[in-house]
Amino acid sequence: MSERLGFFTDTTVCIGCKACEVACKQWNDLPSDGGTFRKGGSYDSTGRLSGNTWRHVRFVELADAGGGVREDELPDLVATAAGNGSPIDVEAAVAAFDNWVFMSDVCKHCTNAGCLDACPTGALIRTEFETVVLQADVCNGCGYCVPACPFGVVDRVPEDGRAGKCTLCYDRLEDGLEPACAKACPTDSIQFGSYDELVEVAERRVAALHERGVEGAYLYGAAEAPDEQLAGGLGAFFLLTEKPERYGLPANAESPVQENVVPATLAAMGAGLLAAAGVAAAFLWERTR
Amino acid sequence: MSSEQPREFRPAVGTPAEPAFGEKSGETVDLHIGTFKDGRWSYLYGEDTEYQSPPAQMPDIEAIRRAAHEARTGEAPDTVQGPIINAPVWTWEVPLYFWFGGIAAGSSFVALACDLAGDEHSATVARKVALAALMPSPPLLILDLGRPARFYNMLRIFKPRSPMSMGAWALTAFGSLAGSAVAADLLGHRREAKLLGGANAIVGGYLGSYTGVLLASTAVPVWGRSRLFLGPIFVSTAAATGAAATRLALVASGLPVGHPTRRALGTVETAAMTAELILSIINERRLGPLASGLEVDRPGKLFKAAKWAVRAGLALRFARKRGGPRVHHVASLLYLAGGLMFRYAWVGAGPISARDDRAVAEMHRTTAHGT
Repeated sequence: MSERLGFFTDTTVCIGCKACEVACKQWNDLPSDGGTFRKGGSYDSTGRLSGNTWRHVRFVELADAGGGVREDELPDLVATAAGNGSPIDVEAAVAAFDNWVFMSDVCKHCTNAGCLDACPTGALIRTEFETVVLQADVCNGCGYCVPACPFGVVDRVPEDGRAGKCTLCYDRLEDGLEPACAKACPTDSIQFGSYDELVEVAERRVAALHERGVEGAYLYGAAEAPDEQLAGGLGAFFLLTEKPERYGLPANAESPVQENVVPATLAAMGAGLLAAAGVAAAFLWERTR
Repeated sequence: MSSEQPREFRPAVGTPAEPAFGEKSGETVDLHIGTFKDGRWSYLYGEDTEYQSPPAQMPDIEAIRRAAHEARTGEAPDTVQGPIINAPVWTWEVPLYFWFGGIAAGSSFVALACDLAGDEHSATVARKVALAALMPSPPLLILDLGRPARFYNMLRIFKPRSPMSMGAWALTAFGSLAGSAVAADLLGHRREAKLLGGANAIVGGYLGSYTGVLLASTAVPVWGRSRLFLGPIFVSTAAATGAAATRLALVASGLPVGHPTRRALGTVETAAMTAELILSIINERRLGPLASGLEVDRPGKLFKAAKWAVRAGLALRFARKRGGPRVHHVASLLYLAGGLMFRYAWVGAGPISARDDRAVAEMHRTTAHGT
C-alpha cells in the first residue's frame, strides 16, 4: 500500500482553459464530446462528466451574484463574431469578470465510494493509492454504478457498453508520473500529490483567502468536521467560493449503498416474511373455514 | 510587439535551452511533490510569488470548517446548475424482469402455502408457474447489460453489500431450486419437491424484495428516499401478481369454483394489491416534491394508470357475487397489468428524478433519517 494520493482543485485560480480535459482525453484515448458551443445555455462546450469525459471544466456563470446576466441573456459570441449578433458591451463584460467561476470537475475517489459498493462484478476496485479504478476488462456494463454515484461521475459509454470514469491516471502513477490533467494545468488549479500534503496546502490556501477577504472560500470534501464528511472524505477535493449546487455538487453525500442497503433490506425482508406468512395464513384459514 | 524585436523566450528561471530543473535548490516550493519525477518543479513558485501562502502561518481549522458548514447547510441556492447525478441507463428489459421475477417469487409463496394446506395438485401447478415466470428473467437481464457476452462476470464474486450481486445469486439459486422442484414433481418425488419448493419460497422472499432494495440503494431521490417503502411495495406486487398468475393457471387446469385454494388465492391477491396501493399512495404523499419522477411524463401516466387498474380490480372483486367467476378472472388480469405498470412506472421514474436537479439538491440538503 502506497500513501493515499489525490487531487486538490482550487477553483479560484482556474481560468477555464480546458487543458486538463484535453490532456485527459489524449492520455486516456477518449473520444471528443463534439463541438457544440453553449451547451445548456452556458459558454461551456463540453457539457458534463460522462463515460468519455473524465475531467470536465464546469462554467458557472453567476447570474444571481449581482451585476451578471441571466442564462438566456448571455450574448451569442458565435453570431457576434460572424457579424450578425448583438454588439457586446466590453466595459460591462470586463466589470462582470468576477461573476465567472470555473471548476475542473473530476471523480472524487471517495472513501465510501457508491460505485465501488454497487459493482456486482468486482470491476471497480480500490487501488494501492486508495483511488477507485474501473477495470474495463471485467466490467459487463450492468449500469448499477451509474445511479449509485452521488456525484454523477461514472456513466455507461453508449458505443462501448461498459462504464467509464477517471482512474487518477493509474497507469501514470505506477511509472512515477503525475496524472495528465494535473501535469497540463497551467495555473496549478489542479494539484496532485499525497493526500495529507494536499490537505495541508488546501487549508493554508483557504486561510490565505479568508485573510484577503474572500470569506466564502471553503473546502469541499476535506478538512470538514467528522460528522460533516462527504462520502467519508474525498480523495479529490475542491476549494469553492459559492454554494456547492452552483457547481452541480450535492451539499451532502454518502455512498447510497452504505446509507440505504441495511434499512431497505430489513424493511424488504420483513415485508417478504410477512407476505409469505400472510399467504400461508390465508390458505390455512380457507381450509378450516 | 513589433516584428523587428526578437521575442523574449528566456524562461523565468535558468538559462535558455538549459532548464533549471536540478539547479533550483534550497527552499521547497509550496506544492512540491517529492515522490513524483515530473512534479518536482513548477514555473509558478518563485520565492516571492503572491500565490504562495506564508508557510509559518498555522491555518485556523475551525474557521475553515465553519466556512464549509455555512455553504453546505441551510437553503439550496436559487440557481442549481446541474446535472448533479447521472440518470440510470436501464431500459425496458429491467421492469419486465422485475415483473416476471415478482410473479416467480409470489408463486413460490403460493406453492409453499398449498403444501402446508395439503393441496398437492395446486402446489405442483404453482411450482410450474414459478419456473415458467423465472425462465424469461435471465435473458432479459443479460439483454440489458452493456456487454451481454460478459454476463457470467456477475457470478465472479459474492458481494453481500451489493444488491445487484445478491440478486444475481438469488436468481441463480431460485432458478436451480425451481427447476429441481419441477423435475422432482415430474419424477414423482413428492417429498423432495415439497422440500425444494419450501427452500425456494425462502429464496423467493429475497428475489421478490431485493429489486426494491436495488433501486433504493441509489442516489436517485425518488428511489433513495423511498428506501423503507420500495421493498414492501415490491413484495406486495410480487405476492399479488404471483397469486393472480397461479390462480389463472389453476383455473385453466380445471380447479373447480369454490375450491378453498381458489378462494385463498382470491383473498391473497386482493389483500396484497390493497397493501400495494395504500403503500404507494402513502409513499408518494410523503415524498412531496421528491416524487416528481412518479408524477410527470410517461412514468407519471403509468403510475396513475396502475393505481386505477388496481382500484378497478378491487371494485370487480367485491362485485364478484353479481358477476360470477369470469369477473374475478378479469380482476386477476387487472392486477397483473397493474403490477406490470407499477414496475414500469417505478423504473421509469428514476431517470426523470435524477434529471430533476432541484429534487437532487433538496434531497442532499436534508438527512435521510426517518425516511
